[in-house]
Amino acid sequence: MATQQEQIEGFGHVSRTIGTVFRYVLLAATLFGIVALTILLIYVANDAIQPLTADPGWHLTFFLTLVVPTLLVGGYLLRTDPASFRFGATVVGLLAVSTMFAGGAAMIFVDIVPPVVWFGYVVALGLALGGVVGIERLDRRLPFLARFVGAGAVIVAALGIVPGAIQSLPVYPTDGIMLTLSLGAPVAVVVGRYAAAEAGRRWTALAMLVALAAVGAGEVLGPLLAIGAVPATVLLAVAVVPTAGYAVGHTRRFPARRSGLALTAAVLGGALVGAAAVDALGFAGPQSWVDWQFLTSAHSGTAAEAGLYPAIGGSILLMVTVAALSFPLGVGAAVYLEEYAPDNRFTRFIDVNISNLAGVPSVVYGLLGLGVFVTYLGQPTGTVLIGGATLALLILPIVIISAREALRSVPDSMRQASYGMGATRWQTIKNVVLPRAFPGILTGTILALGRAIGETAPLIMIGAPNVLFSLPTSLSSKVSAMPLQVYAWASLFASEPFYQAAVPAGVVVLLIVLLSMNSIAIVLRNKYQTDQ
Amino acid sequence: MTENPEQEYAADESTDDPTTDDMLVETDVSESVAASGPTMSANTVVRAENINVWYNDEQALQDISLEIPENQVTAMIGPSGCGKSTFLRCINRMNDLIDAARVEGDLYLRGKNVYDDDVDPVALRRRVGMVFQSPNPFPKSIYDNVAYGLKIQNKKGDYDEIVEESLKRAALWDEVSDRLDESGLELSGGQQQRLCIARAIAPDPEVILMDEPASALDPVATSQIEDLISELAEEYTVVIVTHNMQQAARISNKTAVFLTGGELVEFDDTEKIFENPESQRVEDYITGKFG
Amino acid sequence: MSTDDLQRDLTQRTENAPQELLTRSFFFLCAVLSIVTTVSIILMLTTEAAKFFSVTAPLMGVEGPTASAVDFLTGTEWVINNEQFGVLPLVSATLAITIGSAVVALPLGVATAIYLSEYASPRAQRVLKPALEVLAGVPTVVYGFFAVVYITPALRTIIPGLGTFNMLSASIVVGIMIIPMVASISEDAMSAVPDSLRQAGYGMGATKFDVSVGIVVPASLSGIFSSFILALSRAIGETMAVTVAAGTQANLINPLNPADYLEGALPMTAAMVNLLTGDITGGGIAYRSLFAIGLTLFVITLIMNVISDLVAQRYREEY
Repeated sequence: MATQQEQIEGFGHVSRTIGTVFRYVLLAATLFGIVALTILLIYVANDAIQPLTADPGWHLTFFLTLVVPTLLVGGYLLRTDPASFRFGATVVGLLAVSTMFAGGAAMIFVDIVPPVVWFGYVVALGLALGGVVGIERLDRRLPFLARFVGAGAVIVAALGIVPGAIQSLPVYPTDGIMLTLSLGAPVAVVVGRYAAAEAGRRWTALAMLVALAAVGAGEVLGPLLAIGAVPATVLLAVAVVPTAGYAVGHTRRFPARRSGLALTAAVLGGALVGAAAVDALGFAGPQSWVDWQFLTSAHSGTAAEAGLYPAIGGSILLMVTVAALSFPLGVGAAVYLEEYAPDNRFTRFIDVNISNLAGVPSVVYGLLGLGVFVTYLGQPTGTVLIGGATLALLILPIVIISAREALRSVPDSMRQASYGMGATRWQTIKNVVLPRAFPGILTGTILALGRAIGETAPLIMIGAPNVLFSLPTSLSSKVSAMPLQVYAWASLFASEPFYQAAVPAGVVVLLIVLLSMNSIAIVLRNKYQTDQ
Repeated sequence: MTENPEQEYAADESTDDPTTDDMLVETDVSESVAASGPTMSANTVVRAENINVWYNDEQALQDISLEIPENQVTAMIGPSGCGKSTFLRCINRMNDLIDAARVEGDLYLRGKNVYDDDVDPVALRRRVGMVFQSPNPFPKSIYDNVAYGLKIQNKKGDYDEIVEESLKRAALWDEVSDRLDESGLELSGGQQQRLCIARAIAPDPEVILMDEPASALDPVATSQIEDLISELAEEYTVVIVTHNMQQAARISNKTAVFLTGGELVEFDDTEKIFENPESQRVEDYITGKFG
Repeated sequence: MSTDDLQRDLTQRTENAPQELLTRSFFFLCAVLSIVTTVSIILMLTTEAAKFFSVTAPLMGVEGPTASAVDFLTGTEWVINNEQFGVLPLVSATLAITIGSAVVALPLGVATAIYLSEYASPRAQRVLKPALEVLAGVPTVVYGFFAVVYITPALRTIIPGLGTFNMLSASIVVGIMIIPMVASISEDAMSAVPDSLRQAGYGMGATKFDVSVGIVVPASLSGIFSSFILALSRAIGETMAVTVAAGTQANLINPLNPADYLEGALPMTAAMVNLLTGDITGGGIAYRSLFAIGLTLFVITLIMNVISDLVAQRYREEY
């Protein structure tokens, strides 16, 4: 006899309305800031570039030559071969960002550092490195201290004597050739190594030669295109050659992705054809406040004539100083804390200290610079050196924290393997840990530098001038910076014309630089994470 | 079949009687895997029919059909990776939470197919209790832990009473009655697992699923849990996955043996499985030749 | 190899080899630099601030105009030219910015964190997280500009009485600025909640809403709280956005009265910037008041950071 069984008709239903509403509320909250910022960015871009003041014909021409082909090619690639699309887009992005940096570099070599000086230092450095390597080869026969002192002497001697000697030569090569050798050679080496990694050892020499020759062509092309030998060489060395090198190398390794270059061609070609067309057809472009004049003039009382040039130069010099100071010190501190430091109270004290310093307001760092560097050490106010040092102190905790995270992400098993073979701590760090953590450290440093570029308060505190009429040329020249200049326009020179013209334009330029740096960091981080 | 031999076995839990002809006859009658038909014997709480599960392209369960009887402890044993936990998670559709998992087949809980389109998995899980391998009490007070199921189901009733009753049934009341406000994490491992059991039984589930509940515990706590499980079977239906064969032999009434590839090789009374299994593979597994 | 060589090889102390010592010392010095920085900040702020207050100025051997500490801490007028140095208006403005930005950032930040950690797909995360980083990376001067040029006029359509410089717009942009901080630290805390707790919840028939709000958020409360404190500390120290957007009038306002947010005021950080751009000669009382405010600011943010650390550590739940 089968016993009675309970049967269930159903299990009931649980209402999901609260959950669904909750989910959408969360999404809205998440998007709030992002959407708000996007709207603000559109507003400021509109104010600065004034796209609506262009002829309708101008818009139509570019729509037909640039927008439509890009959308077609891009859409097709995205659907059929996303990897190619990413490659093509990367090449375009790389070209855009590197051109921007090339512009900055050109500014340096045109107005700040004469090519002959740079050439002298590069030659000196090369000689010094050669000497040091040679001394290291004498490993067996000389004790460490002697080698160390010897290497130090070689470096000091080279850097001290050679640049001066070169500058006092009666005859030296033209600017273009010097830059080719001093700027193009390192670039060629990098391209050669990349070619070796992607396509095989035997391509190294050929790639280097081609790269060098391409850079050298700037000497001839520059005057031809009416931009000058130096800017042309710099443009080739910093923007064109690396991008081309990447494109060629990558296609060599992934031939299927060649179709991605169609996207690049669509964008570049479309832009060039469009520019030629609007010129021929006589369409007026937008009366953008961000134009060549804005980027190359100095401050002026008249809003329409004010420019950002000295501020841009100042920002570049500051960033170089900040990077030179904060990178070694920050990474050094991180290495100590992660690799050497014993787990005692002193180490924890340093830990707490660093995280507190990361939370100190930037204004207080400015006071630190003012109180210590200017007042106590008697340095002149507002120079590149003081500004750079103050900003370096500001971002040092950030560099340390992100470098530590990069070091921590190196698996301990790798260190154990190295120690197990009897390697010393420094050998392990130098050969195993640092190479592996390097991309992460680089990403963190770039993000920290991005923060430093946007900082204004510390510079105000150390007495940086509100307006600067000429480019800073040395470590002790007064320096301004992009955010500082924009602040000056927005507060000291606050008036309708400035708020209409100069301020939005300055904001847009600053944002473009910052977004480029952020994008580089993000791309680097993604690549680094997928490689691991 | 008019008599119901299984009930006799359910009545006296661990029979130590030597095998007799009677038992042979009766085991003929007891449902084995291949001969499962639509008729059900005893009170079957869960009935699986041709359950197949894939993780991406890999098949984890092959054509599982079995019936889980009421008020008994049913154990599922087998080497690791043979799909025991996967099957357990089919019963309360926890596999739905795994993107890569795909389930085919039917599984009836008290006659209702849990994989029907009109079944809400969340509602289903409110009728099934689950205890996990590592104790996972919420970082809340002991009281709140046990009352959690009642709270999310908005159940009416005297929570204090239900909490006390659940803790008593989980053999934990005496130890914690004076500190119900303390965090559940303050308890020892064995106590935490009993707390998780109390939490699972408080909403009065149809069946309690246990996935290796004692594997993370020390031997003393393990034996306390085993005693507890045997007691629980008086009120509830328990399905337990374990890789500890001796444990299964000690506490279960019926045992299912899963072997490589997610195959249910034999399902029978525990006695039969351990003393005289039909399948050679099961015998090899039991005697330790592999696994 | 002779046993002498082996003996020597095995007993050489590579730990103390010159290279090792050199590199170790270099790295150690880098780490110590951070302590030097903190000590310098503390020393410099306290000595210069000491020169400001009448009670301590004689200790520093300073004659000349000083301010009374009591007046500083309780005075309600901040007019430099008049030598009135009451810090309360500045503190009230800073407090207003903190509260205002908290209202914006704390709820939105936690909501973002819950969405990212419990609901968002990996693809969505890959887009949203960098986008939030951009939010945090925009220079603060730009945020100030946005407040004055775009947000205030937009708000004026619904609040006609809004001044050109007002605390409301400033609070909103500072709030937007610190959302990523709250979101990322809270999200880290939520991701650290072990999945077994969620499984326990789902196993009992809890909906995703039940699990997110009833299990995950309570379990990560200490991390969330710590993120609040850190973000607010950042809001307190925020300089350029408020300097541009909140105005230059040191009004004493009531941070708890919403109507007061419609006027401009002068937070501590903006007051410091104004002191310097106001072309003061180094060494005067105005110069030293800079350090007095700076010291106040430093102490406040330091205490908040220490509390945040303590909260995160002491109440970290053990799973």
